[in-house]
Amino acid sequence: MIRFRPVPGLVALLLGALPIVASAQAPDSSAQSAPRVSASTPRSLAPSAVAGARPGAMCGVCHSDIRVEFDRGMHRSEGIGCVSCHGGDPNAITVETAHRAGFRGAPKRRDIPALCASCHSDVARMRPYNLPSDQYALYQTSQHGLRLAKGDDRVAVCTDCHGVHDIRPPSDPKSRVFTRNIPETCGKCHGDSKLMSAYGKKDNPVTDYAAGVHGKALAGGNDSAPACTRCHGSHGASPPGTGDVAKVCGQCHTRVRAYFLAGPHKQGMDDAGQPECAACHGNHRTEPATLAMLDKVCLDCHEAGSKELKLAGTFKTMYTEASDDVARADRLVEKAARIPLYVDDYKARLTDARTALMECMPVMHAMDAAQVEPLTRRARSIADEVSDEIQKKLDERVWRYVGLVLCWFYLLLTAGVVLRARKRAAARVDL
Amino acid sequence: MEESKESKTSFLSWIEARVSLTEIVSFLSLFGLLPTELDSRKPLREALREAMRQPLPSYARWPHVLGILSFILFLFLGVTGTMLAFYYQPTATEAYRSATSIARDVTFGGIVHQAHRWASILFLLVLVMRILRFFFGGLYGKGRELVWMVAVLTFVMATISDLSGRLLPWDARGYWTMIRAREVTDGLPVIGPLSTFLVGGTGLDSLILTRFYVLHILVIPVTLLVLFYVHFSSVRRVGLSPVDAAPVKRSLQVALYDVILLVVFLIGGLMTLTVLWPHPFDVVADPLSTPPNARPPLYLLAPHALQQMLPPFVPAFLRGLLLEGLFAAVLLLPFLDRKGGADLRRRPILIAGALACACWAALTWWGWLIEVKR
Repeated sequence: MIRFRPVPGLVALLLGALPIVASAQAPDSSAQSAPRVSASTPRSLAPSAVAGARPGAMCGVCHSDIRVEFDRGMHRSEGIGCVSCHGGDPNAITVETAHRAGFRGAPKRRDIPALCASCHSDVARMRPYNLPSDQYALYQTSQHGLRLAKGDDRVAVCTDCHGVHDIRPPSDPKSRVFTRNIPETCGKCHGDSKLMSAYGKKDNPVTDYAAGVHGKALAGGNDSAPACTRCHGSHGASPPGTGDVAKVCGQCHTRVRAYFLAGPHKQGMDDAGQPECAACHGNHRTEPATLAMLDKVCLDCHEAGSKELKLAGTFKTMYTEASDDVARADRLVEKAARIPLYVDDYKARLTDARTALMECMPVMHAMDAAQVEPLTRRARSIADEVSDEIQKKLDERVWRYVGLVLCWFYLLLTAGVVLRARKRAAARVDL
Repeated sequence: MEESKESKTSFLSWIEARVSLTEIVSFLSLFGLLPTELDSRKPLREALREAMRQPLPSYARWPHVLGILSFILFLFLGVTGTMLAFYYQPTATEAYRSATSIARDVTFGGIVHQAHRWASILFLLVLVMRILRFFFGGLYGKGRELVWMVAVLTFVMATISDLSGRLLPWDARGYWTMIRAREVTDGLPVIGPLSTFLVGGTGLDSLILTRFYVLHILVIPVTLLVLFYVHFSSVRRVGLSPVDAAPVKRSLQVALYDVILLVVFLIGGLMTLTVLWPHPFDVVADPLSTPPNARPPLYLLAPHALQQMLPPFVPAFLRGLLLEGLFAAVLLLPFLDRKGGADLRRRPILIAGALACACWAALTWWGWLIEVKR
């Protein structure tokens, strides 16, 4: 049985060829000024061959490079086509007709946020994707949005961060707004000293960030490390105010913030207009929080020999002594484990000691030695106890040498007896 | 005193009436401990007295000590190994725990474990020294071919035993030594696939640990026992290797006392090594993290270096074939070099041998260097 199977391409070709023939037969003046699609397109890509595949497909006939780019993005699969943003007639087969019906062309930079918001502020449209719909509102409060409203179109608009045609979801590692790519995306503008000097910015926050602990952690593959947007916000991007720094840092460093608020620095810094955490730790180039900091940063505000500096010295001594004790106990545990002796219990106890030691760091932000001391004391007492117990066990192993001497004594005694017997046997037998 | 002696005699005669003790003891002569046969028709005391008084020309001279020493070490390894096997559990999950538990919790377990480890090192050393003595003394001439081949094969078996033994504690060092060693041997044609087949794969998991365990405690010891038997049997037929010194006449009894003295000092030496230089345990093996010091064992560094040294266009099987050819040449040396004796003018091969040893040492050094640099 022969089944008739219509070939879609062939049918489309036949149907699509009709208007071309028609326009060729009835020449008009505008067709001559604008190049005809059929004339500039290879036969295999004749408009009729791809017509009807999906809305906007015709645009790709001329704008093939943009179409390739667009197809990589996520909008393609959501039924968003060229005309959604650019207007025009996607099914027209001449440039002229395609660019006629409500065609907007490339939107102006200052119009882009509103254009994107026409969909992204629509709660009903965003709900199925579980996407927020307040980005536009946030953007209008951001430094970018505020400046744009004043007519400065060098500021970032949606497309600068998300891309123009190939917009990918933030979870896609190739996306410009994927966590690890954010410093580079922001850095396109904020790392451009020429552009930034127009705004009176001299330092380069991008290179500073890359040299700081957060930048190194993110580059090292720790995706929990904060990128620019974690502190500044994304759509509502704005530098935190002087009194808000601890709130921003406290999003992650909750314990540190709690002790900082309880200490004398909060009020003092706010009065002096110091940017809280950033005053000591830096903002973009965040230094690793070590005891070595106490030697430098305190001197920025406090005089050498002052009681504040003495307190810093006390912190340093207490912590160093405790961490040295824990390190010594660690070495002994390692040594004992290789013999092997039982060390599981010691290891568990040293974990306790390390926890106490780790807690010292946030507690120090309260600037109260009486709160730090119990922790270092606890770490030291556990570590010393463990060291003593292991050392005792190691010392007991000296008895092995006594055992060795006794063993040789017995062996030599045996050898003596055997030698005597051997001598007798040699004398007894006459060969 | 008199009574106890009499009761002893009567017990011996009681048991002798039921079983031929002489026959049992003469079984030992199969393994060379008694170089003479016992007259199994006579009662044990009489037969032994007779045998003990037999003269043994030039027996137990220092050069000969290596053979009996290797056998004593083998027995010592057998005894200590059996003790360890009572506690050891050959599965990937339990091996490390049980091995450390032996060294830590079992009374004298640590000493037995360390003594086993040190004895295995001495065993390898003694076997190498024996091969070198045979070579440089020209002691593999006509009639002694089997002695030479057995010595070489014994060494090979001992290395496999050593390697599998290092794996058993399932600590990082042993585990990765085995992985790196198998990288060297897997490239060998025939031997590589055969060894992979024998242990059942190229990976290193619980099942393969069990196979190495069986190789270590059963297959290799039995093979070694057979090799020792062939050695002693051959030596009984062709005689001990000649030494230059004038023959000293001794009775078998005196010689046996010498063996006892040897055992006493060997145990003393092993105990000293054990107490002064114990082998520490490494951390438990983790297949997902390679420690920086993972390298092939010392005796495989030279083949490893040779394989690394050849230019990259030499195919892998040719490299393997080269190594196998070298091994075959060593094994079949008595048939390639028919002249015996240590005379340099008669045997220029001695120079080649010395050069080969120097090359081996240099390659080992070089293999060590490339591993350290890695």
